[in-house]
Amino acid sequence: MISKCFSLFAVGAFTAMTAASALAQDAGESGVQAPPAVYLSAAQNDGPKEAEELTLGMWVKAGNVTTYTIGNSWNDWILWLVYDKLREPSPYAGEAEDWLATSITQVSEDARVWEIDLREGVKWHDGSEFTAEDVAFTFEYYREGPANRWTHHSSSVPRMVGIEVIDTYKVRLTSEKPMPNFDRITATDLPIIQKAQWEGVEDPRSFTDIGIGTGPYRLVDYEADRYYKFEANENYWRGKPTVKKLNIVMIKDPQTMFTALKTGEIDGAARPVPPELVLQWKNDSALEMISAPTLWGVWLDINVGRKPFDDRDLRRAVTLAINPEPMLERVVLGQGKSGKHGWPHVDSFWTKPDLAAAHDPELAMSILDEGGYADRDGDGTRETPDGKPLVFDLKIASNQPTFLRAAEIVTEQLKEVGVGVKVTSIDPGSMGQMWRSRQFDLRIADITPHGIADQDMLVILYRGDIKNEMLLDEDKKTIVDRWLNAETREDRLKVSYELQEYQTKYPNRVMLWYPETVFAYRWQAYDNYVPSTGYGIFHKYSFLPEEARDGTVSPLLSE
Amino acid sequence: MVYLRIVLQYAVVLIVALSLNFALPRIAPGEPIDFLLPEDVLANMSQEEHAQVMREFGLDLPVSTQFSNYVTGVFSGDLGTSVSYGMPVWEVVLSRLPWTLLLMGWALVLSAIAGSALGVAAAKLKGGKLDIMSLVGVMFLGSAPPFWVAMLLITLFSAHLGWLPSYGAAPLTAMPGSWDWISGVALRLIMPVTALTLFQTANILLTARSAMTIALGQDYITFARAKGASENRIFTAHAFRNACLPIYTNIMIGIGNLVGGALVIETVFSYPGIGSLIVEGVGARDYNLLQGVFLLATLSVVLANLAADLGYPLLDPRARRA
Repeated sequence: MISKCFSLFAVGAFTAMTAASALAQDAGESGVQAPPAVYLSAAQNDGPKEAEELTLGMWVKAGNVTTYTIGNSWNDWILWLVYDKLREPSPYAGEAEDWLATSITQVSEDARVWEIDLREGVKWHDGSEFTAEDVAFTFEYYREGPANRWTHHSSSVPRMVGIEVIDTYKVRLTSEKPMPNFDRITATDLPIIQKAQWEGVEDPRSFTDIGIGTGPYRLVDYEADRYYKFEANENYWRGKPTVKKLNIVMIKDPQTMFTALKTGEIDGAARPVPPELVLQWKNDSALEMISAPTLWGVWLDINVGRKPFDDRDLRRAVTLAINPEPMLERVVLGQGKSGKHGWPHVDSFWTKPDLAAAHDPELAMSILDEGGYADRDGDGTRETPDGKPLVFDLKIASNQPTFLRAAEIVTEQLKEVGVGVKVTSIDPGSMGQMWRSRQFDLRIADITPHGIADQDMLVILYRGDIKNEMLLDEDKKTIVDRWLNAETREDRLKVSYELQEYQTKYPNRVMLWYPETVFAYRWQAYDNYVPSTGYGIFHKYSFLPEEARDGTVSPLLSE
Repeated sequence: MVYLRIVLQYAVVLIVALSLNFALPRIAPGEPIDFLLPEDVLANMSQEEHAQVMREFGLDLPVSTQFSNYVTGVFSGDLGTSVSYGMPVWEVVLSRLPWTLLLMGWALVLSAIAGSALGVAAAKLKGGKLDIMSLVGVMFLGSAPPFWVAMLLITLFSAHLGWLPSYGAAPLTAMPGSWDWISGVALRLIMPVTALTLFQTANILLTARSAMTIALGQDYITFARAKGASENRIFTAHAFRNACLPIYTNIMIGIGNLVGGALVIETVFSYPGIGSLIVEGVGARDYNLLQGVFLLATLSVVLANLAADLGYPLLDPRARRA
């Protein structure tokens, strides 16, 4: 046991140092590195590294496991069991390993043209050969076809204007604007789909065939909202998977999910363990827990399309008045990191290392005074310059009790600077419509790594705001335009940092906290889970042999 | 003539119900697209892309056209495609229906037997120990939220004792039809059926007790006693026969509600029935799916009521004369 702990620590520390050193050397960048994952159980056991069959619990359904039925970071990990990307593991870690590509080369100086050499000998699950036609088709389909969570990689940021098959294993892509991070973001996020299966599909959301991928697992049977059965792709080019059969069962109720794990009905729960259970299970001899970074966040969304939030100084005053520290303690029992680190996620590779949101209620009050937001009638709440009470409605989903507690704290803090808040809890089904129609002043919502840990998405969110005429801030628009035209990684990162500083100072989204995500599993069934930044421990790399995991796994330390 | 009038009445009910089934999902705020795509995608979608997704599911059409398509679909058996499942609505609904019928059917049978027997016994022993105990039990169980009872059962029988599986309807790894599979299905039924039975028994017990108590106080009971009839005969042939009409109505309502599933219980136990499908459909604003499920539930209630109406004359000669 002691030797295992020591070796884990040593391997983890070595990996961490090596990764940090590689990142620092690469292109002279100074990207943030996510903290290592940590074992939380009192004893780290040494269970089997292979298994015949495992049953894991999941709580968000995934349709027929295609890019059109999955769009949520809580269930996209089963998509990656079936599909591969050009490079892996993800856009969140900064570094990546060649996967379906053997090399990705920037051809033009302005970073608009890239060439991709593809791996030979890779087979689709139906036995046919993977070629450049499939890659070109994927980009074309995502550029021209119906939108999904991944299509922006070809239709928006970046927008491909040229997709050419050079030969059977080589593709050339040309984009409208520079894409200096193509190999680190687009290539590490876009799943490659099979041309033969998808070229005739016009309504992909009504397509119910089982998706054919090149990944380590084949989906053999499913009943959406009930179960998914996967079988190992024994001929997987990267190595034979360590578990022969994976059964994923849908359990929506959290208590039922964790009871099923405790009783051994499932072998792992792909859902973060709540703080109170973490303490309870720490000494459980049948369970092991790992705290692994998933890069989720909870933010206060400000509707900049609604007056008076078009006034950036008012938004600055709001963020100065909010102190996320008490939320971390009172809302999530200290399990996470405070949002004072600003937006995007503090552990994202793309985040400015010293980024921080200031908390200064005094300054907030003086900004409000200067802006003409004064309490003229002496009721304790300020009024806008044109005499309307400075009171905002704060909407939260009724199925999120932690958000309600956070909303109460936000209300208290804003009241101290003379800003009134009225909290309204509405049914989750209405939240989407409310957001899309912009019928709110403030709202608290969670946000996935795709939204806060991927540099391209930061700009896509800004562009969405601009497109919808919600953001009238010319200064920010100028920075975004400079970002879009930046031709090198360094320039783009530099402008991205500028954008982050600007956003943190004049936010339209105020980070409240970044939850710590703890996952639990039964070590006697399978004890070979590894963390990967942004994905936790339930992902395909946990089911690949040791040698196939190179470059995809983040460090794992003893507590 | 009487039967024709009844059938016409139900036809009108059906038309109104169809209209409501169409309107209700659309009255709720939100559209399917809000749940189909994540916010970061919606934020960056162009009007054309938005329109394209709406077109995929026929939601770009005027509401009147959607309604006429829906009505036509109801009579031609095509209820459209579920937005959240990407499958024909009938396929989704039919895959869930057997599980719900199994769950709700057992709960109805057990609660009907237990509720009627306890209610009748309580009426017979009115004021006695059994009566008081059953009333207290009923008040407690009837007012306890089903999800709470369900969670207590899971905590006791799954987490602590480890006797019963806590979720699902069938073991995933056993071959369907095999003994392991059948026993797995039976084991998974025990807790949800118990939770539902406890809840439903209270209702039937109160109805049975009340009906029997009223019947036992009627003049014809006094007359039967004066005639010298035995207490057993008075109880079964005179009182119970009259009291069984409200019990029958209650049970028929239960049959009508069979296919509606049990929203809370199915969700807590991750039971793949119609109830959890409704929860899913509401959450995703899946209009077609909700229309399909509501249609099925409506038909079931209407048919059960029709059957109840047609059955009354067989149970009660007075209904024949009316």
